[in-house]
Amino acid sequence: MRRLLMAVPVLLGVLLVGFLLMQVVPTDPATVRAGPMATADVVAAIRSDLGLDRPLAVQFALYLGRLLQGDLGVSIINNIPVAQELGNTVGPTLELMLASLVWSVPLGIAAGTVAAYRRGRWLDRLVMAASVGAVSVPVFFLGLVLIWFVGFRWQLLPFTGRGGPLWTRDGLLAIILPAVTLGGVFVGPVARMTRTAVLDVLGAEHVRTARAKGLPERTVVVRHALRNAMIPVVTLIGLQIGFLLGGAVVTETIFSWPGVGRLAVGAILSSDFPMAQGTILVLAGGFIAVNLAVDLIYSWLDPRVRA
Amino acid sequence: MRLLRRLLRDPVTGVALVLAAAIILAALLAPWIAPGDPAENDLSLAMQPPGEGLLLGADDQGRDMVTRLLYGTRLTLVIGAVSVGLGGGIGAALGLLAGFYRRLDGVIMRCMDVLLSFPAILFGLAIAAIFGPGVLAVVLALSVATVPLTARIVRASASVEMGRDYIEAARAVGMGDRRLIWRHLAPNCMSALVVFATLRFGQVILLGAALSFLGLGAQAPTAELGSMASQGRTFLFFAPHIAVVPCAAIFIVVLVFNVLGDALRDALDPRLGF
Repeated sequence: MRRLLMAVPVLLGVLLVGFLLMQVVPTDPATVRAGPMATADVVAAIRSDLGLDRPLAVQFALYLGRLLQGDLGVSIINNIPVAQELGNTVGPTLELMLASLVWSVPLGIAAGTVAAYRRGRWLDRLVMAASVGAVSVPVFFLGLVLIWFVGFRWQLLPFTGRGGPLWTRDGLLAIILPAVTLGGVFVGPVARMTRTAVLDVLGAEHVRTARAKGLPERTVVVRHALRNAMIPVVTLIGLQIGFLLGGAVVTETIFSWPGVGRLAVGAILSSDFPMAQGTILVLAGGFIAVNLAVDLIYSWLDPRVRA
Repeated sequence: MRLLRRLLRDPVTGVALVLAAAIILAALLAPWIAPGDPAENDLSLAMQPPGEGLLLGADDQGRDMVTRLLYGTRLTLVIGAVSVGLGGGIGAALGLLAGFYRRLDGVIMRCMDVLLSFPAILFGLAIAAIFGPGVLAVVLALSVATVPLTARIVRASASVEMGRDYIEAARAVGMGDRRLIWRHLAPNCMSALVVFATLRFGQVILLGAALSFLGLGAQAPTAELGSMASQGRTFLFFAPHIAVVPCAAIFIVVLVFNVLGDALRDALDPRLGF
């Protein structure tokens, strides 16, 4: 509940940043909208039409009103409504993030559990060394290496753009390399977090009890240790969604994946302020929503935190 | 000294320590040890592969990759150090205040929670959108993203220290708040801060490189590892070394500092959970 209340100032902060972004813009939106041939009168009329002559506080209120109606403005570059462009790109970004999580989270949890169970042995060292390596690799390095070998040299998989819906062959083939890239940088952190969590639980009393009453080792690890270790792991994975988002922006750029991240970067580099603002609002809003969802899952998994 | 000896007991850590020193030294001395000027180009050498004459080859403009690498590492390290220093400094001060003054605790930590609600990449995008892409935008974004993390860690160790007897004793002899914080509380929170800063340095370099790779950081022709990688991406199929050299450099720098951070944590306080 407290987190739910926290989301309100966070959201307001995001909206304020979005609003300020439109204020510092060097170009005057009224002049842009009026076009190069407009007279001063026309510009003034548009200005009052947009509410640009009102105090900033009023403008902020107007801005919030427009947002509520789904009006995010129009791209300066190609005049396409920002909301429409966002609608087209949110899906592919979610698709990419899910496709990355689907394989990297189970693999990370498995690797972390094995490492914790074999603590101090060579398998543990190997997993830990690999995960330190994995968290040190720049996403774009992994992406470029995959493109060079799998895409270019061996010509096995496509590496530019989305191939269509996931249930088609082309769509499925096209998402493999981006999902391997993005998931690849996620396995390391998940493995490390799981190892720490499982180590904590393996030392706990209920595990000792389970062992003492003669349960097979497999049951002890899977049913008693892993299950309780999942609580911190789920939270930490939720916290790492931001990290995944950062990776997604880079991955989309490398693979020309038509997602929000690539749209955001393109908009910022071409000074398309309304578009930049819209993408940042969507990314921030999505991130807040994910955090809230994780909190809800957390309190559902662990009744003790329901305070 | 004892710490150093303990660190060197593990050969991997020893290697990481030596490498870290070498990297920092090479970056500091770049203007003196680099074979040429990072902007100097010879188009007849463009995209020349490593080996023949040039150790790491030349980039698409015919600039020597060794020189670019040294200067690029220098700028990348500076960006990382300034961001960790600035963000870590502000965060540590806030964390100490929150740990020391119970009345400020709630306000400060709620503000930090709000900042923590955003991934660093979003700060990068927003700040680059407002101020325009550039090194400054990257440093600002990475600093802002470092503040709340540092504040949390320092506050946690400050709260533990506040319960210790020496604080009570210092109070009893009439020591003023400021002296108490700086002379007694702060030094005792240092080990957590040092471990965190080392690990954060690697993360910040990775994040900064990603922002630069996207074009939001250092602008051409400035040599910076992330933007060099981005430039190399264009010529990936003709001259892969232009991208591989800076990418590998980033990987090595980050790996070295991550290994070092892990080792420091194990040596200083294995219970630190980050």
